[in-house]
Amino acid sequence: MHIPDGFLDAKTAISTGLFSLTGLGAALRITGKKTESKRIPLFGLAAAFVFVAQMINFPVASGTSGHLLGATLVTVLLGPSAAVIVMSSVVIIQSLLFADGGILALGANIFNMAIVAPLLGNAIYKIVRSVLRDDRGRLIAASVAAWCTIVVVAVVCAMELAWSGTTPLRLVVPAMAGIHMAIGLGEAAITMLVLSAIAKTRPDLLNGNKVVALQSGDKRLPFPGILLFLGLLLLMVPLASEFPDGLERVAHTLGFAQKVGADGVSISPFRDYLVPGIHSAFVSTIVAAIVGALVVFVLSIAMARVLVPRAQSVDELKTEVD
Amino acid sequence: MNPALQLTNVRFHYPDGKEALRGISLRVAEGECVGLVGPNGSGKSTLLLHLNGILPERFDGDSHVRINGRLISREAVDSIRREVGLLFQDPDDQLFCPTVFEDVAFGPTQFGLSETEVRAAVRTALAATGLSGFEHRSPHHLSSGEKRRVCLAGVLACNPLILALDEPTSNLDPRGKRKLMVILKSLPVTKIIATHDLEMVVELCSRTIVLDNGEVVADGPTRELLGNEDLMMKHGLEKPHILRHHHPH
Amino acid sequence: MRHDFLDRYSRLDSPVHRLSTVTKCCVALALIGFSVAFKVEVWWIFLAIGLVLTATVIASRIPVKFILTRLLMLEPFVLGIAAMALLQAGGFAIFLNIIVKSTLCLVTLIVLTNTTPFSDILSLLRKAGIPSLLITVLALTYRYLFVLIDEAERISRARKSRTFVPKRARSWMSLSSLIGQLFVRSTERAERIYAAMASRGWK
Repeated sequence: MHIPDGFLDAKTAISTGLFSLTGLGAALRITGKKTESKRIPLFGLAAAFVFVAQMINFPVASGTSGHLLGATLVTVLLGPSAAVIVMSSVVIIQSLLFADGGILALGANIFNMAIVAPLLGNAIYKIVRSVLRDDRGRLIAASVAAWCTIVVVAVVCAMELAWSGTTPLRLVVPAMAGIHMAIGLGEAAITMLVLSAIAKTRPDLLNGNKVVALQSGDKRLPFPGILLFLGLLLLMVPLASEFPDGLERVAHTLGFAQKVGADGVSISPFRDYLVPGIHSAFVSTIVAAIVGALVVFVLSIAMARVLVPRAQSVDELKTEVD
Repeated sequence: MNPALQLTNVRFHYPDGKEALRGISLRVAEGECVGLVGPNGSGKSTLLLHLNGILPERFDGDSHVRINGRLISREAVDSIRREVGLLFQDPDDQLFCPTVFEDVAFGPTQFGLSETEVRAAVRTALAATGLSGFEHRSPHHLSSGEKRRVCLAGVLACNPLILALDEPTSNLDPRGKRKLMVILKSLPVTKIIATHDLEMVVELCSRTIVLDNGEVVADGPTRELLGNEDLMMKHGLEKPHILRHHHPH
Repeated sequence: MRHDFLDRYSRLDSPVHRLSTVTKCCVALALIGFSVAFKVEVWWIFLAIGLVLTATVIASRIPVKFILTRLLMLEPFVLGIAAMALLQAGGFAIFLNIIVKSTLCLVTLIVLTNTTPFSDILSLLRKAGIPSLLITVLALTYRYLFVLIDEAERISRARKSRTFVPKRARSWMSLSSLIGQLFVRSTERAERIYAAMASRGWK
């Protein structure tokens, strides 16, 4: 997902660059203030670790192999602001050392893999975690967060390409989303497996990203990841009006779209979701993602049962403060 | 005249409760070269980490380590680190900069020397370790002997009064060992060397301290201690070959 | 797996290598900037860029085979997106633009990174005002990349000597376990590095 130079136009490169500068700058300021200098070597080593982990080939089908992105893994192990810095380092080094990812595209690549990925992963992880509080819950939360993050990052990447006029939105978004829903399964599985491997020798290392139990009346700022995600969704709305109506055209041809049943019962199940300007193909992508997330959730529960045979229901949330 | 190094009843236990040091007391005079030997787990490395305040992580007044008469405390620790040069076991842990020059320059820079002073210090330190011309090399392209010497250069560049070395000859081939020992012999500073290499101890150190299970079990002239087979066996060590056969000097 | 493929040619001696870091970075950025700014119709600019690059590659003494291999490794993404680009109005022009621009930019970046030691690039970034926290992290990342690759190989070899050829599911477990162990060792090494840094005055 590293975008080389030549794919993004100026406005996309500059605006994502500005977002990245803001996000990275904020992370640097937060870490500079509240973290002891003791953690800084850990950031460097963690970035080297992610780089090496990304190099490892996980065999898929004959000849093909999958790779870990690692953003969610790092977020779970080190916390969101550390993860932003760590992933930014990875992206920068890959571009400057490997030419994997262009220089002018650095803004977009950092935004995708080092800002959106850790923050969204953190938000989803913490939300799921606050409900599932035991050891299995940690694995499940990380797995779901990893899958969702991969899909969202792929879609954001697709949107950047479309906004630059490089590829048509109606093709690139479903294509990237579809491919990465499959790739995301690998990311989710590997994230779970790695976390459970770490739990066997150094379970203390899994407490790097603590969850505060949300209390009623809690006036805390919602996760930046969620805000970011909602912002991205909002951005998609005007873009999505370019979507040709995959489903709607079918409905039109078959004469459904005009009809509302005489007794008020809608004929097309998606009719209720149609908002002026947004076509159903866009919606069906979102629905597919939600269904996918639920499927991943269920699969994660099954896998967590295998990895953690005896669930320890230690309610660690009561004493932890973020 | 203050001893260079003085430990008074130093105790330490790890977070998991295991006791690493059980009340160590010892003195090292200026200019002495002391060998610190003992089986694995005896607390040698832990002891060395106490000499420049890396351990304990919080000073609670329990242990007393004095460097040149000055007690290590949170206020004093910065200047103490200038005086005590610690060489770690794994050179890769200590060679953390992208080039040799930057790494050797790290200490002097942190301690506030000017750019010219730093460059001079680096030049001197590299010359002392036989590494002139290595300034622009990358650490990962060096042999383990060269890495060790760069680490030593990095420590020497800070001009320490006391050198504490943790297994300096481990993973070195005979030539690398010889080179390092020649350099160490030439340094007039106070030295304390934790090691399994008893041959080196015999050659470099006039005095040896035997550590076992966090306690000092013997402290005296090297040849006498290391030549005592019972003492060696009792503490998981072996009498070095060099002392096995009598060489009339 | 030899790891100097990451850094093999950055310290060769050639007229290009000898240029100052600032010069090299500015020229590279200019080449990339021009590539991206113009459409392929203005073909003479791309021809000029192509000629400059060819001359630079030859002068830099970097083996062409190496550059081509790196290019091939990074092409799949380019081709995939380019294929999709064809499927729209005016697609062929966009397709051509993508292929030409990204190839020129990739070669530029490959030559830049292989004629400039990374520590020089870092010094330039530091002078350009990048926060020192990030510079430190980047320097440590670069330095320990090679150490961790070696570490991963060691862990992997220790496993191979104990297992038979694993089935796919087992290999995922085994590889994940390797990654897990690598993280644990990285954390422990980071603590020792901190001790080494603090011992030499770092706060």
